[in-house]
Amino acid sequence: MTGVARWARLSLHLGRWEVLASVAGVALLTGLMLWFAWQLRMLAAGEPGCPDPHAYVPGCEAFAQRFQGLSGWAQGLLYLSWGAPFGMGLVLGVPIVAREIEGRTAGMAWTLSRSRAGWLRGRLVFAALVAVALLAVVVLASGILAGAIVPNLKLDRDFTWIGRRDWLIVARGLAALGIGVLVGAVVGRQLPGLLAAAFVSVLVFAGVSLAMDRWNETLAVVIDPYDTTDLVVEGSLGIGGGIELPSGELVSYAAITSDEQYQDETGAIYTRWDDETGRADPASFVGWDRVRIIPGRQYPLVVARASAVALGLGALAFGGATLAVRGRRPA
Amino acid sequence: MSDIVLEANGLAKRYGRRTWALQGIDLAIPRGGITALVGPNAAGKSTLIKTWVGFERPTRGGVTVAGVDPWRDRSGALAHLGYVAQSPALYDALSVDDHLELALMLRPGFDRDYAQARLEQLGIPLAQSARSLSGGQQAQVALALALGTRAEILLLDEPLASLDPLARREFLHVLTDAVRADGATALLSSHIVTDVEQACDRLVVLGVGRVLLLAPVAEALASHGIGTDGVAVDGAVASFAGPAGERLTLVRRAGPTGGDGLRPASLEEVVLGYLSSGRGPSAAEGRAA
Repeated sequence: MTGVARWARLSLHLGRWEVLASVAGVALLTGLMLWFAWQLRMLAAGEPGCPDPHAYVPGCEAFAQRFQGLSGWAQGLLYLSWGAPFGMGLVLGVPIVAREIEGRTAGMAWTLSRSRAGWLRGRLVFAALVAVALLAVVVLASGILAGAIVPNLKLDRDFTWIGRRDWLIVARGLAALGIGVLVGAVVGRQLPGLLAAAFVSVLVFAGVSLAMDRWNETLAVVIDPYDTTDLVVEGSLGIGGGIELPSGELVSYAAITSDEQYQDETGAIYTRWDDETGRADPASFVGWDRVRIIPGRQYPLVVARASAVALGLGALAFGGATLAVRGRRPA
Repeated sequence: MSDIVLEANGLAKRYGRRTWALQGIDLAIPRGGITALVGPNAAGKSTLIKTWVGFERPTRGGVTVAGVDPWRDRSGALAHLGYVAQSPALYDALSVDDHLELALMLRPGFDRDYAQARLEQLGIPLAQSARSLSGGQQAQVALALALGTRAEILLLDEPLASLDPLARREFLHVLTDAVRADGATALLSSHIVTDVEQACDRLVVLGVGRVLLLAPVAEALASHGIGTDGVAVDGAVASFAGPAGERLTLVRRAGPTGGDGLRPASLEEVVLGYLSSGRGPSAAEGRAA
């Protein structure tokens, strides 16, 4: 048996329960995803006269209702694909060190292996490969499902279900794996480690999400929401809106509504001058409605950024876990 | 090459703010043979061994393994060491053979054939799951893994504690056999004196955090006698209660045996005497022969 095959076999034996749980979870999730995708495609194929199940087309109401009912369930699975990397990362990561300490095998392993860092690397690489392989299956299945729910979805330039159908799933899985290993190494017990790692993950990813939102705002453009000719809105990610004053300043709706100077005597705010209906007196006109969006074409960049940050976070956590293992007692 | 393979200089280890596990240990174990590290529970035996393995950081002083400080260069120290932990734990999910494979993967130069041969001699089935082995068999597997490293120094942290007498004897037999065949140095900690008496060449008695005696077993036996009836004699180490409740006095003989009215001391009596004394003339003298 070659060294690699021996390493894989022993690593699999040592982490068999978490690998088994991960495989079972992914098999169930992707199985359901593919089944729903198949059902939706069959449904759509049976109604060639109804090209868009999400649009109102006379004569297609019954089809649209059935399709949307089914796709509602299917979209629930995409929420699961958002959570899958966190669950899998923690389940695979926490026991790597915590179980060795809890089971008192760390003393043997850390003296047989001259380098604890080398020992940890061997265990981590296996868990990371398992996570990447399984989460890649989730990415593929969720992409198929997303394409079935929205038949015309351009997967590579549409923010719909971002992080639930793309490679960000894999990157987040590796980050969660790193956090799991780190917390498991520090806590040294499996169940408390799992709970603590879940808590830490929530905090870390909430913080990262806020920071990413700020970063991605630099990609935003301001558009007129009523301008239906502007195709930039297709597949875009809305990140807020407000009113553009005649001075060119963009003011949020919250700021406008809390400031009386923008309101008429009835408290109304006129943001759009309508020549045809004459709804507003030009004297009380405040400004134009505007929304800020990140155009769909930026989707690959946003995913790449988020993936890079997640991978960086995972690498930091792996580094921290290595330090924790090097410095801690084996029991 | 230095003749001293394990050394502790002014070693002190404190847990928390107040609990001292070791206080000013000076110890030098020469190359070759088996040294018994004997002492009561909480004497600091495990702490001392774990400091040599690099699991514990000295609070004061330091230790070396073949001249290498394990806290500064853990890999360098571990290259010289094989280690068997207290109540050795194996991986439940792995077979005995898997453990050998794992050791081969983790340790460059691990002698799988040697370890396997040791286990086969003992009739331990390689395909059997570690979970289903008896305590004695698990200890033997742990010992085989340590021996398979072909390390020049073996540190065994009370591996006999949970074994029945037959398993203890078998374990010691394998250990002495291997150490003598390979010319290795072993340090075996135990609080069961009778078990180590036959197997060990040297004796270290560790009191609470202090070395009380360090001597070759033969010398320790020859240089001590037992006085009965509570008679005060020169060189008395300590008095302690005998098995029938009588007062026994361990005496360190100044000269050759005989003519002093003392009967020969057993190793257990030597150990009991020093543990009762709480003082350590040999420790102050320093080095083992």
